[in-house]
Amino acid sequence: MNVEYFAGPLGVIVLALAGHYLRWPRVPEIIAVWVSVTLIGTGLLSYQGILVGNWPAILVMIVNLIAATSAWDSIPWGHEHPNMRRRRYYVWWPLFWTALIAIALASNLAVAWLAIEFSTLASGALIVEMGSRRALEAAWKYIVIASVGLALGLIGIIFVYGSLRYQAMGWNTLNYSNLAHVYRHIPLIVREVATIFVVSGIGTKVGMVPFHTWLPDAHSEAPSPVSGLLSGLLLGLCLITIVRFIQAVPLPSSVSFSGPHLLLAFGTLSLVVGSLALLVQRDIKRLLAYSTIEQVGIMAIGFGIGTPWAETAALLQFAFHAVIKSTLFYTGGHLSVVYHSKRLDKITGIARDHRTLAVVWATGILALAGLPPLGLAYSEWMILQALWQNNALALLIILTAALVLTFAALLYHLLRGLWGGLDVSPSAVGLAARESASKMSGPETATAEGGQH
Amino acid sequence: MATAGLFVFLAACGLLWSRNMTHGVWFLAAEGLALTVMVWTSGPLTAATLGIGFATLAVKSGVIPGAMHRVISQWPTEYRQDQPLPFWAYLVAAGLVLAVGHVIQLLSPSGLILHRALFFYGLASIHLGLLMVVSRRHVLSQVAALVGIENGLVVLAASVAGALPTFMELGMLVDLLVAAAILVWMSRRIHRQFKSTDIVALRRLRG
Repeated sequence: MNVEYFAGPLGVIVLALAGHYLRWPRVPEIIAVWVSVTLIGTGLLSYQGILVGNWPAILVMIVNLIAATSAWDSIPWGHEHPNMRRRRYYVWWPLFWTALIAIALASNLAVAWLAIEFSTLASGALIVEMGSRRALEAAWKYIVIASVGLALGLIGIIFVYGSLRYQAMGWNTLNYSNLAHVYRHIPLIVREVATIFVVSGIGTKVGMVPFHTWLPDAHSEAPSPVSGLLSGLLLGLCLITIVRFIQAVPLPSSVSFSGPHLLLAFGTLSLVVGSLALLVQRDIKRLLAYSTIEQVGIMAIGFGIGTPWAETAALLQFAFHAVIKSTLFYTGGHLSVVYHSKRLDKITGIARDHRTLAVVWATGILALAGLPPLGLAYSEWMILQALWQNNALALLIILTAALVLTFAALLYHLLRGLWGGLDVSPSAVGLAARESASKMSGPETATAEGGQH
Repeated sequence: MATAGLFVFLAACGLLWSRNMTHGVWFLAAEGLALTVMVWTSGPLTAATLGIGFATLAVKSGVIPGAMHRVISQWPTEYRQDQPLPFWAYLVAAGLVLAVGHVIQLLSPSGLILHRALFFYGLASIHLGLLMVVSRRHVLSQVAALVGIENGLVVLAASVAGALPTFMELGMLVDLLVAAAILVWMSRRIHRQFKSTDIVALRRLRG
């Protein structure tokens, strides 16, 4: 693993602590600049890998891009939440970022597992820092459920390691390259059991249905800049960890519970549950959280199809979703502050009251709904095409229906948010028209009209 | 080694059965001690096994039970007791322990299992820990259950691979230490903010 990538988070911790003890002004701004410099450095370090399609290079670039946006958004978010303990926030935040980089770069299943477990703890602590009872409850459920899931995943990893103990290579046994080389020496039953444990266990952290119960709570109660990282990056990176394992330790397609089969099954469930749940959401951040469940479902289907075209599509879906969803979480956080509520029925009339937020919110929701030419439309189309090429017609129909439903649900919430709360009854429209006419034609006309009534 | 595994299993049974949180803490410390003995008797004593043993002893018999005990001792008596275990939990516990025998039969032909008795103790302890998470209602019972599951995983790893790689053993210990520290800190906050240590109080959010 390239240790130079960890200079970014380490720098944030040093700056945060130095800023606290030396009483520097504008510490969040300094940290945001540092994270942006790290992003540029990552680009210079890994551009060759990105050009040749090296997954870890691409993933770490996406991680640092979203981390930079999260760091910049932490500035206004910090002003909006003055009671938040800044020093603690800027210790847990870079630790969470460290875990994300480690998951992205991990070429070893054990390292990936440890990093995922650590990401749970760091992000859980960030949720607790919100200080409310709801946040405490969400963080508790998140850490307990995710830890249980990851313990199950570890059983699968232990079984794989136990089957290859004859290699006597220590933790290098669990390198993906080694696993891909010697997987035939692992008995079929052990591979099958390990796959079920790894997919279900780490799948808990992905938030795939039916292991998703912690996700809407944790994502809605986390600080918005952290929700962006959780939703945009962590879930997708955990899914990619599962995919790397499945690719390294494949099972014959005749096996009922092979990795791709499980991904397709859990992905479809997540897609259906996520898109249906969008219709009935009343909380702005829970809306985005359920949309994430739907999106990881689409990614899981893409990876489950398993063809190079579908995998590229799923990876694109991850990248586009990371950018769009994190932006939406930041915007949703600011909207909930300016409207003093997270309830969607209270966040109305955005187009009239907050034009800039309205433009960002509308663009993000339309992108999430899959409106061309915005990114997700392209990757979703690629996955539909891959399903068609693989004659998976039932899945194609389910995905199409779910995408239509998602589009309708998101559009409904968007329109209500932008223009809801405005009185559009005939009498109100007539009154508005008269007021506007009176303004245009001056006081005399207004007096005359007033006299007619 | 098998005897140490048996002690871990018996302590897991005690953890599930005991309502008294102070007793639970002692069961956890006993598990940590048994694991330390297991690490030191699993093969020739090297610097690595010696280090892992001491780290296990410090974290699992010292720091984690100590932190839990400190919190419990600060609470009034009514918060030191868990609710009675529901009757169905005893039946499920018996079923889960018996199911391990079936898993051993299923996996034996693959040659995965090095030590059948140890495998039984490890997987049965994990099963009991999982059951404890869903059936026990005290916040610290859930912390104890998570630590118990992790202890069961170490026994399971010893039964199929002799031991886990040093890097992973230490990584898991650090992870467990951080997890337990955060969860114990959260338990104190839950007690302070909800005026309860029963997880039923955490019902505002519905997934």
